[in-house]
Amino acid sequence: MSTEIQNAAKSHAGRWEPYVDNGGTSLAIAGPDFCIIASDTRQSEGYSINTRYDSKVHQITDKVLFATSGYSADGKKLAENIKIQAEKYLDKNDKIIQAPSIAQMTSIIMYQKRFFPYYVFPILAGLDGEGKGCVFSYDPVGNMERVGFQVYGSASALIQPFLDNQVGLKHQENVDKNRTLSKQEAFDLAIDSFTSATERDIYTGDYLEIYTVDSTGIHKEVRTLKFD
Amino acid sequence: MFLTRSEYDRGVNTFSPEGRLFQVEYAIEAIKLGSIAIGVKTSEGVVLGVEKRITSPLLVGSSIEKILEIDNHIGCAMSGLTADSRTIIEHARVEAQNHTFVYEEHIPVESLSQSICDLALRFGEGAHGEESIMSRPFGVSLLVAGYDHKGPQLYYTDPSGSLVLYEAKAIGAGSEGAQTELQQSYYKTMSLEEAEVLVLKVLKQVMEEKLTNSNIQLAKVTPSKGYQIHTADELAAIIARLDEQE
Repeated sequence: MSTEIQNAAKSHAGRWEPYVDNGGTSLAIAGPDFCIIASDTRQSEGYSINTRYDSKVHQITDKVLFATSGYSADGKKLAENIKIQAEKYLDKNDKIIQAPSIAQMTSIIMYQKRFFPYYVFPILAGLDGEGKGCVFSYDPVGNMERVGFQVYGSASALIQPFLDNQVGLKHQENVDKNRTLSKQEAFDLAIDSFTSATERDIYTGDYLEIYTVDSTGIHKEVRTLKFD
Repeated sequence: MFLTRSEYDRGVNTFSPEGRLFQVEYAIEAIKLGSIAIGVKTSEGVVLGVEKRITSPLLVGSSIEKILEIDNHIGCAMSGLTADSRTIIEHARVEAQNHTFVYEEHIPVESLSQSICDLALRFGEGAHGEESIMSRPFGVSLLVAGYDHKGPQLYYTDPSGSLVLYEAKAIGAGSEGAQTELQQSYYKTMSLEEAEVLVLKVLKQVMEEKLTNSNIQLAKVTPSKGYQIHTADELAAIIARLDEQE
């Protein structure tokens, strides 16, 4: 039996693998009239760091950002694809594509590769047609859900439960469930999430790109995380 | 036009030395043989009205349909060889549904109208891989009425594939007279009810038969309820409103 497994492993070894996990973490929090999107910039392969600065957040329109994690090359190709489609939409319909439309389109673009998927866990975030913050999360084959906040990537298991508690107000007693975070609170929460995750997850670190999207536009800030 | 007939009449994709495409021009002539169709835009929505020629008392009037729904928010009226419109309407409906499927929103009226025009010149031999769908130009003109983020809109398309935005437009037999009447009576602040009466008034002037609730069709597209075609009872009520005014 063990030789069978060994043989199987041997025949698998050396074969070309189409996918690589480059690690990294992306996060988005929707507010009533704003949205926070943050990603670290470390790009790893196994125990090696390929680069300390590789952006995973891509701008689609002046209100919508697209954050990825998983396989870096696929993430970039997918973002590029969505950007091209958003531009074609503008040419054809003489209007800027809105977040819910990009969301639906992204789902279709991803599902079109159902049997050789983009190895990406995307988060689409920004402001919707009414100016409300919105976050759409996907699995690699294009299942889509509009959520209030989402963390994907190597540190998602560390940060998501923290946001469930702090943003989703889960497992809290005597709490006003209608309470919404202010822009500053959400921003600080994003930074704290990443500084903590960096301590435990070797694939998250180096720099943090934080985008704030509100009625005045998109504002980018870069912070340092630990380099170890 | 018929005096200058020549070899250039035949090829659907050959310019005459004067720079004309006769088959396309003749197709536009075919529209003028069709029964009249009128569209009027107001700030509250768009009204479409057509004449149905009931050529025999044995003909079941309700089987003639010259105003059709393309999507919830878009309707269209036609004049000319209405059978040709089937291909166009089919294409337009697919295009509208496809937009909704991909973008989770209604297709803008202009995009939809443009997609109709894209078909217009796909006759003759297909170019660069595009399959040709017709051996001749379409012999039908459409008035596309709809509502989107830019408000209510009325587009006019013809067999040459041109697309024009109108506030009020008449096509088909007697459209010249009808257009003149629209120019005189139309005003921008018109209400939807007033537009309905105006459409009937113009139809009445142009039609040879007496205007009844069975030989016309009337539809409206409003922001709140989208495309709605009037029933015979609703038509009778609007006709009564017209009679009151006269």
